[in-house]
Amino acid sequence: MSRKKTVVVGLLGPTLDLGTKTNRWERWRPTVSLCQHEDLLVDRLELLYQRRYTALAQTVTADIQSVSPETEVVHRLIEFEDAWDLEEVYGALLDFARSRVWAPDKEDYLVHITTGTHIAQISMFLLVEAHHIPARLIQTAPPVRSQGGTAGSFAIIDLDLSKYDTIAARFRREQKEGLSLLKAGIDTRNAAFNQLIERIEQVAIRSRDPLLLMGPTGAGKSQLARRIFELKKARRQVAGPLVEVNCATLRGDGAMSTLFGHVKGAFTGAIADRQGLLRKANGGILMLDEIGELGSDEQAMLLHAIEEKSFFPVGSDREVQSDFQLIAGTNRDLRRDVEQGRFREDLLARIDLWSFKLPGLRERPEDVAPNLEYELDRWAQSGGEAVTFSREARDRFLDFARGPGAAWAGNFRDFNAAVRRMATLASGGRVTREIVDEEIVRLRDAWRSGEVSSGGLVDEILGSRAAGVDPFDRVQLEEVLRACRSARSLSEAGRSLFAISRTRKASSNDADRLRKYLARYGLAWADVATRR
Amino acid sequence: MAILEVDGSLGEGGGQILRSSIALSLVTGTPFRLVNVRAGRKRPGLMRQHLTAVQAAAEVGQAQVTGAEIGSLQLTFHPGTVRSGDYCFSVGTAGSATLVLQTVFPALALATGRSTVTVEGGTHNPMAPPFDFLARAFLPLVDRMGPRSTAVLERPGFYPAGGGRFHVAIEPAAVFGRLDLRERGEIRARRATAVVALLKRSIAERELAQVREHLGWDDSTLRIESVAKAVGPGNVVSVEVESEHVTELFSGFGERGVSAERVGSTVAREAADYLAAGVPVGPHLADQLLLPMALGAGGVFRTQEPSGHTCTHAELLKSFLGSDVRIRKLSELVWEIEVPARA
Repeated sequence: MSRKKTVVVGLLGPTLDLGTKTNRWERWRPTVSLCQHEDLLVDRLELLYQRRYTALAQTVTADIQSVSPETEVVHRLIEFEDAWDLEEVYGALLDFARSRVWAPDKEDYLVHITTGTHIAQISMFLLVEAHHIPARLIQTAPPVRSQGGTAGSFAIIDLDLSKYDTIAARFRREQKEGLSLLKAGIDTRNAAFNQLIERIEQVAIRSRDPLLLMGPTGAGKSQLARRIFELKKARRQVAGPLVEVNCATLRGDGAMSTLFGHVKGAFTGAIADRQGLLRKANGGILMLDEIGELGSDEQAMLLHAIEEKSFFPVGSDREVQSDFQLIAGTNRDLRRDVEQGRFREDLLARIDLWSFKLPGLRERPEDVAPNLEYELDRWAQSGGEAVTFSREARDRFLDFARGPGAAWAGNFRDFNAAVRRMATLASGGRVTREIVDEEIVRLRDAWRSGEVSSGGLVDEILGSRAAGVDPFDRVQLEEVLRACRSARSLSEAGRSLFAISRTRKASSNDADRLRKYLARYGLAWADVATRR
Repeated sequence: MAILEVDGSLGEGGGQILRSSIALSLVTGTPFRLVNVRAGRKRPGLMRQHLTAVQAAAEVGQAQVTGAEIGSLQLTFHPGTVRSGDYCFSVGTAGSATLVLQTVFPALALATGRSTVTVEGGTHNPMAPPFDFLARAFLPLVDRMGPRSTAVLERPGFYPAGGGRFHVAIEPAAVFGRLDLRERGEIRARRATAVVALLKRSIAERELAQVREHLGWDDSTLRIESVAKAVGPGNVVSVEVESEHVTELFSGFGERGVSAERVGSTVAREAADYLAAGVPVGPHLADQLLLPMALGAGGVFRTQEPSGHTCTHAELLKSFLGSDVRIRKLSELVWEIEVPARA
């Protein structure tokens, strides 16, 4: 007789389950009632309760053992001070959900949502809805007077059924509003990396001098900048925001005003004052990624701004103040750029005071597993769905990821993309061996074709905005950008891109078509052209 | 051995067919497949109380079982060798301890060695024969057919709290001997007992007042038993008629929303009907006797109008054993049931 065990997880109801006298048997007590149904056999009940309700838990347990000797009752202490505090209750229940190994292939889980405060019920719902607990919901109800008995009724609700999608969407919104929790520190094991991070934290807390983060693309420079910002914010060392920009996207005429702002009438089209990113970062942190891509005029202005904490916006004869900490990122060897005259020596000297070299993923094989956990966590938090690997799939992926066959050309960007793809394909929240094998083929192909990461030019040019582009459009945009890069002008790119249709037209305006296309992504020719 | 197909929707359907099929299968060694279990019910398929009986029987008879799941519409049962021994079964409140015992009893009563069975759970459940009926009416008649059993109630367990426990010691016999029970004989004793567990004594008094009124029994036959060591509250009133050849016992259960007077008068009327018919065997006992008689040397008894359960039982015995149970109406109140010896 091999059937799945039925396991109910539920909170003890300090009010509804109450009763020590004989007459408790005449009342409906939801937790006891769970085990009184003829058509529901609970093999195990995991009873969650706070220490102060221990006596009640014992009474309820003894009563369950009497009405349902088949049921094993397991006690789980869970603590929260305020049962009406969503963040606290959810946090405690989430900790419980994560501390325990779920085996949905062996056990059939039901989460009882009739007991506890409404906050606790909502939290339980959310945990199930987000697959943190791979369960269905069970709701119990008191008996209708005419039917007699004390068992009442129960209903099992499977949130995975599509008819609950609209409700689920509503709760997901509420979840986003109500819960901004869980800072996910990665439990990294690479000693050199850990030492590096320790040093960065020391410096970050004690100094407001510029920091230079070096490392290959995808090594996590922007992420590290964000963590430094979070850290300083937690220590109340920054009052302003974190302002991030990839200098590779700042090209041409717009670059100056993007960074330093402009005044109304400074140039054609400057119809209003523009604040600029440096002023926006006042009191906070300015993260300039790919700082080696910055033009020479901008380099000079930036140096001035760092040293004087003031600068002139474009077209203004009045200096403005901005006090920010600079974090610069680069994947280039800036010293060589200085030698070749591409980067200002004085600027490098100024930002080079604290420089840190982030190792690539291949140099940190010990950190592959913790980063996998971290990415899955992030996936669960952003997408709202918990995803796990089967043991076999996990072993297979880790072997590959740490092995010599994995180039990780785009480092954590590739790694992150790989995990996200697998998580997307995991039906029922489970990544299988097949999904991993498919992903390995995909990664090898990408590395072989020399593509750095899945997005290529799209990622490079759009930066964080690339995440908003549908895969469908991405393919087209990538090809368009490639054509732009190899063309000398907008018109030349237009001619090559519309090479077929232009032959059928009396007059053609390929350049205009291309300009409009690029504008849909907020791009101008200057943004996409190769600098010469 | 060919597998016997039993239709679970036969007669009144439900658990009785399942339990009797298991009991017959364990003794005869005939495997069976039960289909349409509780078909057409609001909640079809096997329920917990059925599973507990199946599991107990599987243990006693070393049986192989498939489909033993809640909601299952089909169950197959391949019995192995029945082992005598010491058994303890725990039954949830929803089920009944006595029904579990009945499922394994015939097999243990014909086993090679002595057995003891302890059952924990609901000993007094409105949907099943109460312990007292088993101990005072049914088992003494089985004793007369060969196997010797003694049943001791350690403490009662009422719905919904349960928590009762009783022990039965079984000294087996090679076969069930013939039972002839046409006459009740002289009435030797009358007893009416009202048990209250963790409830007011006045409930028992009001029930017994009804018994006295309807049956005209004097106070010396009435007794109140107050149980303090029960897990939960409960009330049962039993009316027992001990005659020269048989003891019969009728029970009623206290229930929320039903007055003590109503409980008392209902059971008193049942006893009055039995006394008026002048037969030795009441409807419930008739139902219970068919199976051991059909498995043994058969026999004959007189009873009141047979219940639906009795008719279903007769059909089941025909399919398992090929026995033709004959049910004849002798008069307005008296019926005679003749069971042939096992072929």
